[in-house]
Amino acid sequence: MSEIVIDVGERPIREINEDIQAACKTGRPIVVRNTLSRHNLGVGLPPGANLHFEGSVGYYCAGLNTGATVTVERNCGWGLAEGMSDGHVTVGGYAGMSCGAAMMGGLIHVKGHCGPRCGVAMKGGNIVVEGKIGYQAGFMAHKGKIIALGGAGDSCADALWQGEVWVAGEIDSLGVDVDVVEPTAEEVAEVDAILEPLGLVDSSRNWRKMISGQRLWYFESRDAGAWLMI
Amino acid sequence: MCGIAGRILKAPGRVGADLVELMDAQEHRGADSTGFAIYGIPRDDGFILRGMGFDNARISADMEDFRLILKEHGADFLEDPTFVTSDAAHYCFRMVISEPDDLARWVKDADTMTDRFEVQSCGRSLEIIKDTGSSVEVADKHGVRDMIGTHGLGHARLATESSVLPNASHPFWARPFPDVAIVHNGQITDYFTWRERLHRLGYRFLTENDSELIAVWVSHEMSEGLTLEQALKKSIKDIDGVFTYMIAGEDGIGFAKDRFAMKPLVGVWEDGEFAAATEEQAVRRIVSGECDVINYDGPSITEIWGVGNRRAAA
Repeated sequence: MSEIVIDVGERPIREINEDIQAACKTGRPIVVRNTLSRHNLGVGLPPGANLHFEGSVGYYCAGLNTGATVTVERNCGWGLAEGMSDGHVTVGGYAGMSCGAAMMGGLIHVKGHCGPRCGVAMKGGNIVVEGKIGYQAGFMAHKGKIIALGGAGDSCADALWQGEVWVAGEIDSLGVDVDVVEPTAEEVAEVDAILEPLGLVDSSRNWRKMISGQRLWYFESRDAGAWLMI
Repeated sequence: MCGIAGRILKAPGRVGADLVELMDAQEHRGADSTGFAIYGIPRDDGFILRGMGFDNARISADMEDFRLILKEHGADFLEDPTFVTSDAAHYCFRMVISEPDDLARWVKDADTMTDRFEVQSCGRSLEIIKDTGSSVEVADKHGVRDMIGTHGLGHARLATESSVLPNASHPFWARPFPDVAIVHNGQITDYFTWRERLHRLGYRFLTENDSELIAVWVSHEMSEGLTLEQALKKSIKDIDGVFTYMIAGEDGIGFAKDRFAMKPLVGVWEDGEFAAATEEQAVRRIVSGECDVINYDGPSITEIWGVGNRRAAA
């Protein structure tokens, strides 16, 4: 099927998103051009849609995605796929702050590095980052996995709930209330099953799996020091 | 939420027009007020002053009083002051003065008029233009697009800590240090304590705006012997709050970002020229092609971008 081309330029974002939604109904692949790093492109995409953004996009691209497959050629700004319930979002370059914030399902695949707080408050789904995850990755993640293949920045896995952060490579420092645990073979197989369709499985990786130390789940006055770190 | 921007050209050029574009693209981050700090071609002597009076019926009386104080400090107007007036009660002025015997002492005396009249920038090249309204409104009113220079700052304000007033807009001049200006995106939570300390050292603040602190704080640290780089780094430890701020001087622009990494900043170099803004889509107004944008996303980071050629024609 031939693709539908949508030009962004200086047009109002509402108009562009209406064009995108209309194009999604045709079932044809969509290419969005001349994006100029603008915000809110492709928000609320329906299941089955297939979009490619040429160049770089701004904040909240593919936010509230309900099942579309989205690729961004280069970089994206804050809040990529924020609140996504399902779908597959791939970024060719760098993902800015809070990518996958509060996402509930689906997969984000970042080929470059990630900014601070990726997966903040995520409630499901997986984030795979080929590069390094930034400061406070997984901050207060409730559920789901963040998998970094190129190391992690400071305060990694800060104040997790039941989310998991998996890192291969150097970790600059750990966040508050983190337990680093040895993953079982079954758990590694689960992660490999996520990486396999992306062609990223490598059995020689030395994984570190980070989960909550659970001290912050309930307030106890002896833990006040840890609370003040946040 | 506010928006900030910085621009450096490789030779004197249309830095005003570029900053207006950078701020227009970020108007949604705060359209209460907009301001610009433009560094023109530096004068060899004398200072350019920008500022405002709060009652446009009193322009001539204000000028008389102001000139009297200037003369007491051995200085005078080098050109007739020019004014921008509107329906609003306040008026804005630009003037060029010869050098007071002691700049800091003159500023202190001139500041006795601040209940009705205030100097908002002073420098060999710095001019701060700020007002209520959007980027385009402020640019149209004050002719910002036509301003030629080598570098500058822009700010779009969404007031969170104090009132929306023309003089509470950014950028802020680091009084009484000539040619130093800041713009800030964020909130300083311990500004009241810091202001109190700096007050006791003799510094004067003209607004209730938390950001005004940063300009004076950094300049004070530098006057105590720190380099700009050291002062920027120290501010991350010493000042509490969330912030990304830029501070400009005659030779360049520096920035610092708090330890929580809450406020974004991106930059792009192209052809020896630099543009920085809170949002990437703003720098794309200046560099529209796909470009390698630098994301200053990490916590506790600083950098200084230098200005090369300040006098050669563009």
